[in-house]
Parts: sequence; C-alpha cells; structure tokens
Amino acid sequence: MEKLLLLAMNGLIWGLIIALIALGLAIIFGLLDIINLAHGDFFMVGTVLAWATLQSTGNFWLAFIVAPLIGFILGALIQRMVIQPIHNAAALSIVATFGLSLILQESVRITFGPTPRRILPPIQGTVPLFGIDYEIYRLFAAAVAIVAIGGFFVFLHRTQLGTWMRAVRHDRDTAIAMGIPAKRVYVLTFGIGFALACVGGVVAAPITTVDFRGGVDILPFCFMAVIIGGLGNLPGTAAAAILLAFLEGVIQSAASPTVARISSLVLMSAVLLLRPQGLFKGFAR
Amino acid sequence: MSAATLIERALLIAFAAFMLSVPWSVPALINSFWVSVIAEILIWSLFAASVNLLFGYVGLLSFGQALYFGFGMYGVAIGINDLGLSFWPAFGLGIVASMAMALVTGVFAVRLTWHYFAIITVVFSLIFYFLALTNKWLTGGDDGISFTLPPTFSFGGTKYGLTDPTFQYFFILGVVALCFWLMHRLIGSPLGKAFLAIRDNDTRASLIGLNVYVLRLIAFVLAGFLAGVAGALFAFFGRYASASYMFYHVSGEAVVWAIVGGAGTLFGPLVGTSIFIVVREVVSSHWEHHSLIVGIVAILVVIFAPRGIVGLWRQWMAQLAERGDAAAIKSKLRTEP
Repeated sequence: MEKLLLLAMNGLIWGLIIALIALGLAIIFGLLDIINLAHGDFFMVGTVLAWATLQSTGNFWLAFIVAPLIGFILGALIQRMVIQPIHNAAALSIVATFGLSLILQESVRITFGPTPRRILPPIQGTVPLFGIDYEIYRLFAAAVAIVAIGGFFVFLHRTQLGTWMRAVRHDRDTAIAMGIPAKRVYVLTFGIGFALACVGGVVAAPITTVDFRGGVDILPFCFMAVIIGGLGNLPGTAAAAILLAFLEGVIQSAASPTVARISSLVLMSAVLLLRPQGLFKGFAR
Repeated sequence: MSAATLIERALLIAFAAFMLSVPWSVPALINSFWVSVIAEILIWSLFAASVNLLFGYVGLLSFGQALYFGFGMYGVAIGINDLGLSFWPAFGLGIVASMAMALVTGVFAVRLTWHYFAIITVVFSLIFYFLALTNKWLTGGDDGISFTLPPTFSFGGTKYGLTDPTFQYFFILGVVALCFWLMHRLIGSPLGKAFLAIRDNDTRASLIGLNVYVLRLIAFVLAGFLAGVAGALFAFFGRYASASYMFYHVSGEAVVWAIVGGAGTLFGPLVGTSIFIVVREVVSSHWEHHSLIVGIVAILVVIFAPRGIVGLWRQWMAQLAERGDAAAIKSKLRTEP
C-alpha cells in the first residue's frame, strides 16, 4: 500500500513535469504543424543547463532564470535558421528536427561528457505525507510545474502575444490579414516551446540524472500526452500527461516499468483508433 | 537520345560494373573491410526503400518500419536457433513473419493518415520493442540471439554458405538488386500508378473508384516485405538478432536516409544510405562525434535540396535537357530560310 502510494505520488509529480514539456511540444505541433523530434533534447538541454549553472555559480535557483532564457534564444535561432527555410513542410521538418536532435546530443556529449551525472536536490529532507516520508524537493517540483503551467495559460489567454499565437493557430491567413506578424509569432512560439522544455529540465534535473541521452525516453511520452490529449488541445495535453504518468506509477507498483509503458502505449493506440480527436474533446477548447 | 539520358545510362552501367567488381576492386583500392561496409549499405538501403515505398509513392510517413526489420531478423534467428531450420526456410520465416505483422498492424494503421499514421506506427513498433525487451526467453532482449549459419546451398558434399565473404557479398547484392528490380516493376505497373494517385490526392483517387484503404494496406504489406527482407539479410550478415534494432531511432534513420536521398525516386534510398554510412565509417575511426556531421548534413540537405539528392540531380539533368532543346530549336530556326 505504501509502495503504491509512493509510486502514485511520484507518477503524479512526474506527470506534472511532463505536462510542462508536452505543452511546449503541443504549441510547436499545433502552431507550426511540425513534428519536433528534438523536443526530448530540449528537455535534456534544460537539465544540462541546470547542472552547468550549479557548477559555475554554486546556485541552483539561478538556473530557473538562465535555462529558459538560453532555451528561448536557442529556440528562436533554430526556428529562423532551420525551420523557416523549409517552410514548415511537415515531412522535411521531421528530418530537420531529427538532425537537430543529433546535433544537440553530440554537442552536449562533447562539452558535458558522456557520463551521466546527478544533482543533489537543493532542498533536502522529507516530510510525512499520508503515512509515508516524502521528499520535499519533489513537492516543490510539483509546485513549480503547476505555477509554470498556470503561468503559461495566463500568458496564452491574457496577453497580446498569447492571443496572437491562438489566432495564428486558428486561422493563419485571416490572422495575417488582420495584421498579426505570423512569422514573428512562429519564431516566438518555437522559442517558448524550447523554454518550457528547459524549465521542465531544470525542475527534473535533481530527480533524474543529467545525461546527453536524457531526452530519448521523454520524447515518446510527450507525444503520447499530445495525442491522447488531442492535437492542439492544450489543457487536454496537460491532463493526459498527468493521467498517463499517474497510471504508469500505479501499474509500476504491481508490475515492471516496461509493462507499465506497454499498457500506456496500448491505451494510446486505442485512443488513436477510436477517438483520434483526443480523450478530452468537448471538455476544453 | 538526349545528353541527360546518355549520362544517366552511362552512370547506371558504371555503377552496375562497380557493384559486380566490388569483391576484387575494393580490397585492391582500399581494403577488404570496405566490402562488408558496402554489403551493409546494400541491406540498409533496402530498409530505407521500404520507408520510401510508403512515403515516396503512397504518401504515408511510417516511423515504425524497424518493427518489420526486427521481425525479419528474429524470424531468421529464432528459425535457426530454436526451430532448427536450414537457410532458406529460415529466410522465408523471417519474410513471412514481417509481412504477417505488417498485415495485422496495417489493418489498423492505414485507417489513419499523416500525423496520426506516423505516430501510430511508432507506437506499434514501441509496443513490440518493449515486448521483445521483456520476453527474454524468446528474444534474448538487448543481448539478442546469436546463431551459427547453416549453408545456403549444398550440392552433395560441396557447400556454399555466407561464411565465404565473396559469396556473402554476391548473395546480398543479388537479393537487394532483385528487390529493387521488383520495386521498379511495381512503380511502372497499374498498381504503382494507383499508389501515385493516392499520394497526390486520396479524395480524387477514391472518386475515380480506387479502394484507398485496400491499396494503402497492400502498400503497407509490401513495405513490410522490403523491411523484412532487409532484416533477414542483416541477421544473416551479423549472425544475430537483437531487440535494439526495433527501437524507433532505427526507423527514424531510415526516414532520414530516404528523404535525404530523394523520396519518390528508386535510387534515392540507396544514395542517402550510402552517404550516411560512408560518412559514419570514414569519420568514426578518427572522431567519435560523427553524429554531429550526420545531423548537419541532414539539415543542410533539407534546406538546400528539399527533394533530396536524387531530386537535385534530376533538376540539373532537366536543365541540361532544356538547354539542349533550346539549342536544337535555335539551330532549327537558323536553317529555316
């Protein structure tokens, strides 16, 4: 029972972090219509930036400012230099982002090194929760993820740029006719997507390991969240990420992690075949 | 005959002559290690051709062809190791297993198109990748299955097998060339024309009476066949099968090879695969970060030659032909009184 509770809690918190990363993937997917195979590596860059900030300044908290900033700049540059020249053609974007993924992984391997490293949680200690001792840092991570996701939705619905992003996604040609600078919106969207993945990376860095292959496992999971939530349905994506990770956590208490992963993949095929519009169509728009 | 066709025909003959002379010319020019590299390129280009058949000719982007590659591998390895089959039945088992798998998954997958199709093919391949990892008793998991090769042909006492490197090379060349020839015939056939119609506009194709679903399913099974043959050959080539070849990265590489070489062209996959494997083999012995170059090449090709390298070549040839035509018209005009 305690094991179940622990794994369910871990799953829930991991789901919140994944939701943050998957939101970045979902806006890139929904707005630019490209399948971003490098998104897992954006997350990985975030974990590495957290490690680098801790090493150079001795202050982990600084990474929450540094990593999204660098991620945003990198994302905007990548959009201008790689994605824009291929005119958002979906098939080509798969090849381009696959290449990007290799470049990011190898660059990190050259500079950071091939061996995985660990970051100690900046907040030590445990707190009793429902009869188990739970790590404080994980609770803090959940809070950060919730704040970041909430902040993103406020940004999307309450600011001019957010409105532009929704408008361009809704109807690109009309948006351009209304004077919205669609090209700039694309650049900013890609930057924001990268930045969100980086925040996820910083939050997750003390929980997982920092490794140049750290994004490989994250990527299919984020895609599952985007699909099960429904393409372009951002609240659905976040909900699906949390649901999936929670379910995997619960299944893991009874079976191996691989079995848990297989069950969520089977769930995803069922959703794709039976409800390709996503599980949550009708709940949110 | 125009200059462009002449150049292409000469290149094709030179290429065929080179491929036939590889076991002797390559060890003389470089070293015998490169014979096996070329054999490997042939196998992987067949795998890239299976992605190309779906994407380049039917317009379905599959990100899960590694599943059928893996079934080809395991069909051979399990056939020889566990069932005690000889060479040809094991080869057949690998191909049948991958085609059957393609049929079963295809029934579901081809109901979807575009993004959804790309993703469900990854999902299917991931499910079986994880199943292969967990069911170690059957697949050996990450360590895989190693087996000893049975002879390919035996006439009385004399045996021919893939243990002879020259025989192995020609065996792989023969099978791959046969598959490419079959694909060439397929593209020219009415079935191939129907595929192209679906690629260009599936609504229009269904309105002229083509059964889009069944045709896509046929293409999917045929692509499974190509991937299965490639997998079976690779199992014979490496004398083992492993679950790691079913991971989505393997499928992704084939997609990149096919698109960089030129999707929708017969030789595109071969060109793309050759470039990437040659770069890998040349660079990896000097510098361990060769993936960096692969990534940069992929991005540059997509930006500057969106139709792939063969597409770029065709564009040049078309320009050459146009210039020739223009010159011909000019000279004709001049002779007119």
